Formats: sequence, structure tokens, C-alpha cells
Amino acid sequence: MSLWSHIFGEIGFRKLNALFSLLGLTLAVTVVVASQLLAEADERETRRVTRDMGFNLRLISAETDLGQFYRDGFSRNEMDSAMLDRLATHLTNNVSFNHLVGSLRREYTINGQDILLIGLSETYVAPGQGKKPMGVVIKKGTIHIGSEVARKQKKGRNDTMHLGERQFTVANDPIETGTPDDITIFTRLEDVQSVLRLEGKINEIEAIDCLCLTADQDPLAILRQEIGNILPEVQVVQMRTLADARAKQRQTREKVNQFVLPWVLVACAVWVALLAVINVRDRRQEIGILRALGEGGGRIAGLFLGKAALLGLMASVFGAAFGTWAVLEFGPSLFPVTKKAIQANPTLAWQMVVATPVFAAFASFIPAMLAVSHDPAETLRED
Amino acid sequence: MMIRCDEVTKIFRKNGSEVTSLDRFTADIGAGEFVAVRGPSGSGKTTLLLTLGGMQRPSAGLVQFSGHDLYGLSPADRAGLRSGEIGFVFQMFHLVPYLDLMGNVLLASPGKPGPAVRKRAGELLDKLGLAERVSHRPGELSAGERQRLAVARALLNRPKLILADEPTGNLDPENAAEVVRHLAEFHKTGGTVVLVTHGTTADTHADRFLHLKQGRLVAD
Repeated sequence: MSLWSHIFGEIGFRKLNALFSLLGLTLAVTVVVASQLLAEADERETRRVTRDMGFNLRLISAETDLGQFYRDGFSRNEMDSAMLDRLATHLTNNVSFNHLVGSLRREYTINGQDILLIGLSETYVAPGQGKKPMGVVIKKGTIHIGSEVARKQKKGRNDTMHLGERQFTVANDPIETGTPDDITIFTRLEDVQSVLRLEGKINEIEAIDCLCLTADQDPLAILRQEIGNILPEVQVVQMRTLADARAKQRQTREKVNQFVLPWVLVACAVWVALLAVINVRDRRQEIGILRALGEGGGRIAGLFLGKAALLGLMASVFGAAFGTWAVLEFGPSLFPVTKKAIQANPTLAWQMVVATPVFAAFASFIPAMLAVSHDPAETLRED
Repeated sequence: MMIRCDEVTKIFRKNGSEVTSLDRFTADIGAGEFVAVRGPSGSGKTTLLLTLGGMQRPSAGLVQFSGHDLYGLSPADRAGLRSGEIGFVFQMFHLVPYLDLMGNVLLASPGKPGPAVRKRAGELLDKLGLAERVSHRPGELSAGERQRLAVARALLNRPKLILADEPTGNLDPENAAEVVRHLAEFHKTGGTVVLVTHGTTADTHADRFLHLKQGRLVAD
């Protein structure tokens, strides 16, 4: 009789044992698949949420008086925009900052209203990470205005406004934010440089710190050293509350994943192993007679490991399907901001198909060895 | 000589104390003999049978099978010898519950059974009155049918020796007689039978009786 005939026959005969093993393994695969897909969704959501929190690093001229900086909300000391390019060339996976945006900020008066005028460069991101630039992309000839600017200037989307001698179109629907953004006009860096006649100048570089360390882990010292090595002429200001919130959110997510997954896998492995032990006990007479008939230890082990691998294979299919379905069904309510990005992961499913039989066989290894080392004479004399 | 036992002793250690199950057992069993082994419970009959079948290494002494030191063989060689030359029949049948009758008989086949082996299995089931139940499972058979199935399995490889451990112990007299009759038929074709028994069903077929008491051979 072939090994697989035996295995299929035994599974059919001891359905309950096979069913419980299958359930345990399916649960393990479901949890792995679901947690992996949820982790990906969670990371996207976290990234998006923290991105929306804004930049948490501000690089300003080393000559800037911080009293003036905090009082006015920007530095009055300009820097060459070439410094932004210099910093951008160092953006790799090995540095602890990303998403660089150069800006030029000044107070400005328009039709008697004092506003803040901010010109933003394009965003520089480290290559090869697949990261999309943060913030809003401002198209040429357009501006984004704050709610208070819109109210006082009586302007809205698609209206035109003049900055100096140049005409711009409002490209946003102004919304009250309760921040200085309400009295700000954003446009492209070169436009503000032109309006202010400060060509080639910026007064700030914004960035995001990627260390995701909380304040007690002192990320600022690391960032200052890294950035200082590239741009010694700047000082680094970290918006610590924002950085901390971002770091804590990411750390919490990672801790949850690191804690839950191993314990689920261990619990499922123990469950499968216990069922395999029960199976070995139930089959002592069978093992005894097979040994009496001249079957070797390899075939006896094969009966148990083969069964485990077969159940693992079935569980990988059920678990991958169920885990994916669960995430697609319930994920969007958990991660509403990035719900469109939640999708099945075929690579992960294939990994499960390969890994689960191995995992199941590994969990059944000790019981299989118990079966192999079982003294058949002991069983056969139990008449 | 098919089997030669020389001073075969088996000692079990249980809870720190030693129990001598076989005590310097010495006997020869020739090819074609039908030997009935008798003795009270705990006299070492089953131990003797398992030792002769290469299933239980003795604590001391020598067991030879067809001139080979049975326990001097490697486990694989001993398993091969068991598979090819020895058939087992047990009181509790020891059938595989999830295989049908054909599957249980074919279990004895070393490797994948070919058409000739399947044909022989079918013939044996027919001969033992089980042909119509080939696709049934052991759980659907009576005790007598189960034991006949076990006999069919033991006969599949045309063994030289059948070791039967109280094969009639769970059977009514009619079924017991039938099982012994099949063993006797095997004996008539030149096979060797060693039958452990409490009853007298085999008395008319056995040509030799060994009596064990407390592990010792007290009468031959």
C-alpha cells in the first residue's frame, strides 16, 4: 500500500483528530496572513496619518536666533537653495531623515491684509523606497490659500489673485485649520523667490525623521550629527511632540505584531503536536503490527509527518483564503484612510503554501519520533 | 533446523524490580513442525513468541533462524526477514481499522503490491471465506472473520513460519476450530507453526507441545 493511501485512509477514519489539527493549522495560517495584511495596512495608515501630521524636522540657518524663529514662525536668515540639493544627494536608506522640502517664508501684505507667504520646493525622497512625496503638489501658476485669506480677500477655488505683478489661480477649497495656515498663501518656491526678489534663496528645509525613536531615546543627537556632517551651516529643530507621537504610533504597531504572531504560532504548534501525540497513542497497535510486518522507522515516521504535511497544505489554502477574506471584509473599517490600498497578497499566500506543511511536520516531529521509537513488542503483548 | 534457542533469557525491569519472563529457554524447532506452546498466564509464552519473531531482543542467550543469529542481524535485515519469512497472528487481530480487507492483507506485502500479489490476496480471502467482504473494514466483521483476515495477512508472503499468539482466545469454539484448521492446512503444505494456546483446539493438529512455567521450559 502506498504511504499516501494509508494517510488518506487514516484521515478519513479518524476524522475528528484530522479536523482539529486542520482547524489549528488553519487558524495559524489565518492569523499569519491576516496579521501580515493588517500590518501592511496599519503601516500604510500610520504612514499616512503621521505624514498628515506634517514634517517634524526644521532645518534653518545656524545664524538664526531661535527667539526670532519661534516668535515669527520662520527664520529671517536665508540660505542658498543649493544646500537643499546637497542634502538631497545624501538621501539613502542609511540616513535617518527623508521627505526634504525647501521653503522660503516671509510675511507679506496683500490688499492691506498681513499674511504669511510660503514658497515650497518639490519634495525629495530617498530613491528605491517607493515612497510618495508628502504634502500637496502645487501646480505652476496656482496658489493654495488659507481660510482667513479667502474670507478677507473674498476668494475661493478657481478665483485669481495677484502676488506682486503676477497672477495666480486659487487651486484649493480653503478650510479653517486653527493654525497659521489659515493666514498663509502657499505657492511654488520659484514663484515666491520671484515675488520677494530672493532668487536662489530658501530659509528653511523641512524633513521627517525616520528613526521613530521616542524622546527618551534621544533621536535628536543622532539627527544633528548626521545632518551636521552634511550641512554644518544649519541648525536642526525637532518638533518633538509630533515626532514622539509618530514614533510611539509606529512602535506600538510593531510591538503588537512582534508579540501576537510568535505566541499564536507557538500555541498552534503545541495544539498540533498534542493532537499528533493523541494520534500516536491511538495508533499504537497499528504501529506495532506494521513493525511486526517488517515496516521500517522511515515509513512509520512518514505516516505521521506525511499526514501533518498534507493537513498543513490544506490548512495553508483554507487559512490564506480565510485570512485574506477577513482582511478584505473588515480591514476597510479598521483603516478608513488607506482602505483602497488593502488587497490580497498572492506572494504571501504562496509562502504559506510552502511554509505551512513544513511548520506542521515540524510540530509533529516529536510525536512522529515517539511512534518510531515505540517498542512494538510492548503493544503486541497487550492482548 | 529452522529455529534454535539456546539459553534464551528475557528479564523485564519494572519499578526497580526484575521479572524473569523467559528463563534459559533452550529448544530447537524443525522446519515443518506444528508446535503448541502452553502454560499458565505470565509463564512467558508471548515473550517467547515475540523473541522467536525477532520482535523482542532477549536479555541473554542465542536465537537462530535458519542458521542466522536473529539478533545479530541489523534491524533492517531483521525486519526484512520478518516480512519475508514469518507470519504473525495475534489474539487481538491487530488489523488496521481504516483499511479494507484487501488493504489489510496487502499490508504484509513488502513494497508496492503488484498484480500477482493482489491476485494471491484475493485467493486467500476467497479461501478463508471473506471474498464477498473485500471492500469492508475490520470493524464490520465478526471476531471469527477478523481472525481469518489476520491469518490471510500472515499467509500472503508464503512464509516459512507462522507465529500465532492465542489466535483462538477471543473466538467461539466453531470459529476457533476453523482458524486452527487454516493453520493446520499451512502446516500440511510444509509450513512451520508455533502456536501459543490455552485451549485444546490445536491438540489434534499439533505434533509437539512445549510447556512453560515461570519462564522455564518444563515439558517438551
